Amino acid sequence: MQMDPGLHKGEGYQYGPNPKQHYFSPYSMNGGTVLAIAGEDFAVVASDTRLSEGFSIHTRDSPKTYQLTNSTVLGCTGFHGDVLTVTKLLEARLKMYKNEHNRQMSTSAIAAMLSTVLYYRRFFPYYVYNIIGGLDDEGKGAVYSFDPIGSYEREAYRAGGTASSMLQPLLDNQIGFKNQEGVTKVPLSKEKAVFLVKDVFISAAERDIYTGDNIMIHVTTKDGTETEVFPLRRD
Amino acid sequence: MFLTRSEYDRGVNTFSPEGRIFQVEYAIEAIKLGSTAIGIQTSEGVVLAVEKRVTSPLIEPSSIEKIFEIDHHIGCAMSGLIADSRTMVDRARVEAQNHWFTYNENMSVESVTQSVSNLALAFGDDDADPGAMSRPFGVALLFAGIDDKGPQLFHMDPSGTFIQYDAKAIGSASEGAQQTLQEVYHKSMTLKEACKNALTILKQVMEEKLNSLNVELATVTPAAGYKLFSKEEIEDLIKDI
Amino acid sequence: MAALAVDPPRGGFSFENCKRNALLAQKGMKAPTAYKTGTTICGIIFKDGVILGADTRATEDTIVADKNCSKIHFIAPNIYCCGAGTAADTEMTTQMISSNLELHRLNTGRVPRVCTANRMLKQMLWRYQGYISAALVLGGVDPTGPHLYSVYPHGSTDKLPYVTMGSGSLAAMSVFESRYKPDMEKEEGMKLVRDAIAAGIFNDLGSGSNVDLCIITKDKVDYIRPYDEANLKGKRQGSYKYKPGTTAVLTSEVKPLELEILDTQIVSEPMEVS
Repeated sequence: MQMDPGLHKGEGYQYGPNPKQHYFSPYSMNGGTVLAIAGEDFAVVASDTRLSEGFSIHTRDSPKTYQLTNSTVLGCTGFHGDVLTVTKLLEARLKMYKNEHNRQMSTSAIAAMLSTVLYYRRFFPYYVYNIIGGLDDEGKGAVYSFDPIGSYEREAYRAGGTASSMLQPLLDNQIGFKNQEGVTKVPLSKEKAVFLVKDVFISAAERDIYTGDNIMIHVTTKDGTETEVFPLRRD
Repeated sequence: MFLTRSEYDRGVNTFSPEGRIFQVEYAIEAIKLGSTAIGIQTSEGVVLAVEKRVTSPLIEPSSIEKIFEIDHHIGCAMSGLIADSRTMVDRARVEAQNHWFTYNENMSVESVTQSVSNLALAFGDDDADPGAMSRPFGVALLFAGIDDKGPQLFHMDPSGTFIQYDAKAIGSASEGAQQTLQEVYHKSMTLKEACKNALTILKQVMEEKLNSLNVELATVTPAAGYKLFSKEEIEDLIKDI
Repeated sequence: MAALAVDPPRGGFSFENCKRNALLAQKGMKAPTAYKTGTTICGIIFKDGVILGADTRATEDTIVADKNCSKIHFIAPNIYCCGAGTAADTEMTTQMISSNLELHRLNTGRVPRVCTANRMLKQMLWRYQGYISAALVLGGVDPTGPHLYSVYPHGSTDKLPYVTMGSGSLAAMSVFESRYKPDMEKEEGMKLVRDAIAAGIFNDLGSGSNVDLCIITKDKVDYIRPYDEANLKGKRQGSYKYKPGTTAVLTSEVKPLELEILDTQIVSEPMEVS
């Protein structure tokens, strides 16, 4: 967090006739990348585990994925303070829903609720990029992506965070078969989804300074969620 | 009969030495003055039927309303002080809409009933709830609806107590009607049968002769949701019974 | 007379568009961003000379622009200089000093001294008041012995037995502070410099990829690039080759080349010898 950018310019602090504007900047960017892919009967949610600020690494072991229920995983990056607050709030709301309605929240209900949680702060937003992955009510893979103030839509795959602009075109090509002529559009298998996740993160770690160290990969099926950790470069 | 209960029947927040809150019990008594209402749950849907007391030929029968839509998938029938129910129906509607807004899914029948129950219990306290009154509500409700668990019927009384039923009658003739319901109810009853049974029972317990103007009937089904029967549709049903 | 665009520059910087650019900036135009070598560079003096070290990452904001750039620049056969800051500034500054030092050598006929390179660098950088973003580690061996300087963008310099520079300088310095000792053997010194650069590579996001070393002794220069690949690139499992015809052909047009076929005859003529 940086208060009053003028502080670093060495302008001197003598009193003068001119008013001086002071700034309060409550946000910072802690980097990291999240990714979710929906398959026919599974969903993959992955993130790197690096938490950084400026040119420093805070920790190499901070996954940005949050297991919300048996069938829903959230990927959440941006300002880590807001990430902590939003995920805590969601956990509380999940418990309240379970108490009030005697059942676990569905992936689509969590997505709708997250949208209202974010839009509530329309004019002082949580600085977070959310992507939800899980199974829908029919057991099909589902991915919901959000902007920081609650706009959301259901998609087949989505990357978010600092390296999102590197991952998304590759996913468009490899999963969406975009810009390819005469290619057979085979449905995505679980194995291919997982190795694609690893490959795109390997590439992102090459070029994005905020992506690296490890990937945490969650594969959600009707039998629950399996988690895998995969190493990335650490520089 | 209540003369011996003086002292403790005035305050809504005072237990009698026997552990009773008389105002709540009196409110439950008020239901027994109300018109009869019946709800029957079947595997195909739920039916609600109520008697309308058209006490004067000068009354416009359609202005008496005792079955309300809470949401597309939930209806509510009532007996007792109908005016009191307005607040509760309003609350149920707001809760159902708020749930849909927040979670993009239909609120379950039980949860709607629970939320109205919370309101029913908030009497006496000045600022507990903006919808609450200084006394208990004088009305009993039947919530009928469809949710993840299928067709559901809930009964709630002025104490806020709510219980799920296969079939339930409330109002002045509830005792007799409930007895009959127990005799005719079976799990494989169709919705059509349930509608006919409900009207038959009303016909038995009503003082006036049953016709399409002095009953209200609504169904909630998975396909069509809440549907209030028109005068013609009720006439068709009456022909069959 | 108005200067033509093709006129050769007369030396020094051109400030022609300063006013125009300031106006454009005021209207909201963004100036192009330069490559910065958010960097770890360092050097030590050991028993027989100087060891310089550098990482090989160049960044443009948060993107890695070059994964294997060279940050140890040639000044003279016995002097090298690591650069951190704006890539263009470090590159040009070291080259200019290298040229001028060579002219100086031709004029004097002596092996150039490190202190001379240092003085030329600081005078140039001071003249530009810090606007030339070059933070340097200058090292070499001359007839007076091994010397090591750090040069800051505003023109101040330090002469020290071990120095670090760049965004990873604190990480690298922490290694030196715990392990440096005077008169180290070459192998030990190389290990120390490698570890200092590696500390920057791993702990500073502006630094990364490999370690380059340059060992300068009285009669030999060992420029080792890369000395160590601190990070191995991950192995990708998928194949991302496309079948021919995957790229859509939107339009095609065939234009015949109109050629005039001429016959050529080669007639040999006797050479004139008069």
